This record gives sequence, structure tokens and C-alpha cells, in this order.
Amino acid sequence: MSYREKESLINIFSGIIITAIFSWVVYQRQLSGTIDLTEDYSVWGTIFLIFMGVSIVARIIIYIIFHILNAIATREEDIPKEDERDKIIKLKSTRNSHYAFSFGLMLSFLALAIGMPVYGIFIAFIGCGLISEIVENVSQLYFYRKGV
Amino acid sequence: MAKREISNDLRRFRFNNNEMTQQQLADEVGVSRQTIVAIEKGNYSPTLELAFRISIVFNTSIESIFKYEPKKK
Repeated sequence: MSYREKESLINIFSGIIITAIFSWVVYQRQLSGTIDLTEDYSVWGTIFLIFMGVSIVARIIIYIIFHILNAIATREEDIPKEDERDKIIKLKSTRNSHYAFSFGLMLSFLALAIGMPVYGIFIAFIGCGLISEIVENVSQLYFYRKGV
Repeated sequence: MAKREISNDLRRFRFNNNEMTQQQLADEVGVSRQTIVAIEKGNYSPTLELAFRISIVFNTSIESIFKYEPKKK
């Protein structure tokens, strides 16, 4: 398995784990009454900002650990340089990711139109973000394996 | 993935060029070894620029390495 394929797998699992842990923490706070996500929408803004910060920091740590482990396992210290094939694969995967995000967003608007509570749209944002990230990385794995 | 219309003789050229390794060719043309593997397997059609760089390494023309075979309708 190439470095890029491993990177895609790490992205998928880190995305799922970070989102799951963060969502669980927020949900526990909601249950304990510390925050009110159903009425106070400004809390959602804070949550999104914190989520972005936490996500970036967690990913940096995960990447460092991954790079160290990969260097130990393969004895290749340098990160492979991105070439034209990597760029094409990234472009096509990002396209698929945007399709997935747009589709999810449209579905959430539809759900809103037929009576879903307003806070549901924020949950849909997080869900669409995670799904689009998974689609992007699965697409990358597919293109690396099957060709582009 | 549909079968490509562009095939290549890269492996033979490498072999005839002092059994050049995929990594050596990759270093010469500035791509990763995985990209050379993908080209040889027919999983990736290189850009014109990369095709030129490969042909320069083997001191030959692009057409002698890469073949275009249109699909029959």
C-alpha cells in the first residue's frame, strides 16, 4: 500500500473518530443541561468554531504519529512528492466530495421544508461534512487502486 | 474503469535501457514510482509533458513508447 493510500485511510478513520468523540462530548453537555442546542443557536456557532480548532489540532497530532510509524515501518523518512497523478486524483476526489456535500445539504433543506427542527440543519452540516470527507478519501483510494 | 485507448511499451524500454528500475525512471522524470507503475499497468495515461520527458530519457519519440488505439464502435 502506497503512502497516499495509507494517508487516505488515516483521513477516513481520524475523521470518523474525531467527529464521533466531539459529538459525544457535545451531546453529553446537552443532556446535562450545560448548553441548549435546540433553542440557543449562537451555541452552534461556538461549537463549529471549537470543532474546527479541535479537528485541526487532532489531525496534526495524528499525522505526526502516522508519519513516525510509517517511517519506522517502511524506513522511508521523506514524504513522497505530489506529482501530476496525485493532483488529478485529488481534483477528482474533491469533485466527488463536493457532490456529496451538496446532495446532503439539499436533503437537509428538504427535511427543513417538511418540518425538521431548525437545529437539525446544524447536525446535517456536521453529518454532510463527515460524509463528504469519507467520499473524498474513498474516491482517492478507488482512483489509486483502479486507475484514473 | 474502462480499458484505455493509450497503451505503452515502457517496460520493454526500461529493460532495454540497462534494466532501468521503475524508481530510477521515476526520479529521472520527476514523478513517484507508483505513477510509473500505474502507467505501465495502463491505469494512468500521462500528460503530454510527462510523455515527452519519458521519451527524452529513452532518447526516442513519444509514438515509439505510447500507442493510441481507438476503440472500435
